Amino acid sequence: MVENRNKKNEPLVSILIATHNRRRYLPVALGSAINQDYKNIEIFVINDGGEDVTDVIESFNDERVIFINRKENRGLPFTLNQALRQVKGKYICYLGDDDLFYPNHVSTLLGVLEGQNEYQAAYSDLYKTYCRIEPDGTRQVLSKVVEISRDFDRFFMLYFNHSLHVSLMHRTDLLKKTGLYNENLNVLIDWDMTRRLVFFTDFYHVCKITGEFYSPVGDSDRISVQRRKDKREYLRNVMTIRTTRPAKPWPKIDDMSIIFTAKKLNKETGVTIGSIWRETFYPYKFYMPISQDNFNRLNTEMPNIVPVFVGQFASQTEHVDAALARCEGKYIAVVPDGFPIEHGWVEESLYALMNSSAGKEAFRLKSATDELCAMVLKKEDLLLARKSFPHLSLWQSIESAGITLREPTFEELPFQFDHLLQHGQSAQKDGNWLRAAKIFEYIAENHRNELWMRKMAAESFFKAGDRKNAAQISSEINQLTPTVNTLLFEAKVKREEKEFEPAIELLKQAEQILEGK
Amino acid sequence: MDVAKENSIEKNNATQHNEVLQELGDCYCSVADYDKAQKCYDKAAVLSPDDPAPYVGIGVIALQKNLVDDAEISFKVACRLDRNCAKAYAGLGMAAQQKKDYQGAFDMYLKCLELDTDNLTALLGLFQSSCEMGSFEKVIHYLKLYLDMHPADTSVMFTLAALYMKDGELEQSRDTLLNVLALEENHKDAANLLEEVEHSLTKKKQQEAAEV
Repeated sequence: MVENRNKKNEPLVSILIATHNRRRYLPVALGSAINQDYKNIEIFVINDGGEDVTDVIESFNDERVIFINRKENRGLPFTLNQALRQVKGKYICYLGDDDLFYPNHVSTLLGVLEGQNEYQAAYSDLYKTYCRIEPDGTRQVLSKVVEISRDFDRFFMLYFNHSLHVSLMHRTDLLKKTGLYNENLNVLIDWDMTRRLVFFTDFYHVCKITGEFYSPVGDSDRISVQRRKDKREYLRNVMTIRTTRPAKPWPKIDDMSIIFTAKKLNKETGVTIGSIWRETFYPYKFYMPISQDNFNRLNTEMPNIVPVFVGQFASQTEHVDAALARCEGKYIAVVPDGFPIEHGWVEESLYALMNSSAGKEAFRLKSATDELCAMVLKKEDLLLARKSFPHLSLWQSIESAGITLREPTFEELPFQFDHLLQHGQSAQKDGNWLRAAKIFEYIAENHRNELWMRKMAAESFFKAGDRKNAAQISSEINQLTPTVNTLLFEAKVKREEKEFEPAIELLKQAEQILEGK
Repeated sequence: MDVAKENSIEKNNATQHNEVLQELGDCYCSVADYDKAQKCYDKAAVLSPDDPAPYVGIGVIALQKNLVDDAEISFKVACRLDRNCAKAYAGLGMAAQQKKDYQGAFDMYLKCLELDTDNLTALLGLFQSSCEMGSFEKVIHYLKLYLDMHPADTSVMFTLAALYMKDGELEQSRDTLLNVLALEENHKDAANLLEEVEHSLTKKKQQEAAEV
């Protein structure tokens, strides 16, 4: 029997394992949690109405395991919340019932989180383990690949998830601010939580592989993968997540207020509002100057909408002034009815504004024209303009207040890394390996994510036939964080050079990783 | 991520473990540790039952152990799994050669070279079987093809020069030997053969002059 050691300086870490009909794989997952080299842990195994696993739990005979055996299937968010209401740990981490932690997973993440306050969440890298499920249910490992090793990017995290839940550890007290898991969601549950976490903390990325998640080749039995196939439902989940606003204060996010000005309500208005709801991923509140009568006619389920009642014949400037008085956001986007809403419609300019060091700047929104002028600027600047020149029109007051209205340059746009990554991956897909390698090297030098991009460069150099570069990069990586691929590339070159013994050593290391030894 | 991309990633990643085992097996073979090599190939064969490569490796080990029949079986399995597996045909050629079935070996080497003109084992095997049978026509063709891709391979170049000489193509033999010496000035065999070729050429010219 392993005893629960609760040393003074060793905070308790709670590991959550939700399980549903994965009896065959659960012992591996649970065993990997139990075998952590950091011992002060509690492990919640919650059976979400699946086949009985009591004997599996009992076979470990470890008092640190807390088993919740629910007969009714209520879904992952409910299941996690059930455990979260009982956890005692200072930190939480999550493990899939068919995934596994390496023994250093908890200690590695705890090592960066404990004893400082800047980062209250951290994540590591994981192998994606491609496997073939044999007729008897056993998993035959085909490959282990680090597909994502992305440095923390808050703006991207608002758009989509880039850290895997199995790799995540966060402080338990953050949940008081974020709230628990959203039980109305059925996919992207993990992103919903990480997205809410980024309102309150930075994430520390540990470039170390501390576990594996399994991906069966062919049709996946994962519930999340199956549910993604329902596009309508998927979109509903995405929109719910993107409009979720945890309670303030938000130490890490500055709010945005969208002031939407419509001369009159018509069908187009509804379409524009719907598009804004669908496309906007930065947290916002939607301020709509409108007469009481028109508001009663407005039929929308859009969340975060704030009606600002104005007279029926109020001008556009009066609409903005009325809404401005109510706005909470640091940033204000002014958008007229009929403005074309497309992907990144406000975020591209917003990102430029957020990172601009110049004072008094406003950025024209993507697709803005002289007739349909829309922009984003700081609330303090707009307030100053309106206060200083209340009798001028909106645009005249902005100009008179010395606020420069311009479009963002290419370098100021967000997702530079992602665009380049996409170029590199396209080059790979086209078989243009050398070009791909050069792109990845460029990204590594200029856009963070150095180790990840260098790994991709090594692979591309190798496929391009530039074995020398592939071997050199792989060799450097293998000194730090060897992966199966980099070990393989280095070994292949060594073999070509007839250095068989070093090649064998590298390949043995790769084989040990693949065998899970 | 689109489905096509996902499938392509999946396909790329389905072979990594097999590749590691195959590579490790080949390395063990190179250092003559055949037992460990055999284990690697056996595991690879289980992992990728449709891949001919492990069977080629197993066949090569059997050949090294003089188990020619076992080797032949392995190479045949590899051929059955992939009818275009050049290495398997080279293996069958080697097995036939060991059984002194030079015509059979010649045919297998030829099949291999039709699929992969770059296969040096088959090329040299073809040369050796040809030597045994005394016919060099096809060998010259494949040696030339090989040299198109490896223009600096002096050992193959030398073999070609020797064949030219044997066929009485003295000028071509001389030119080829000069190329060998340009790349490797201390190639003693080439220098000696060149001397022989030059001598034959002079003799030939003298004969031609006498006839005129």
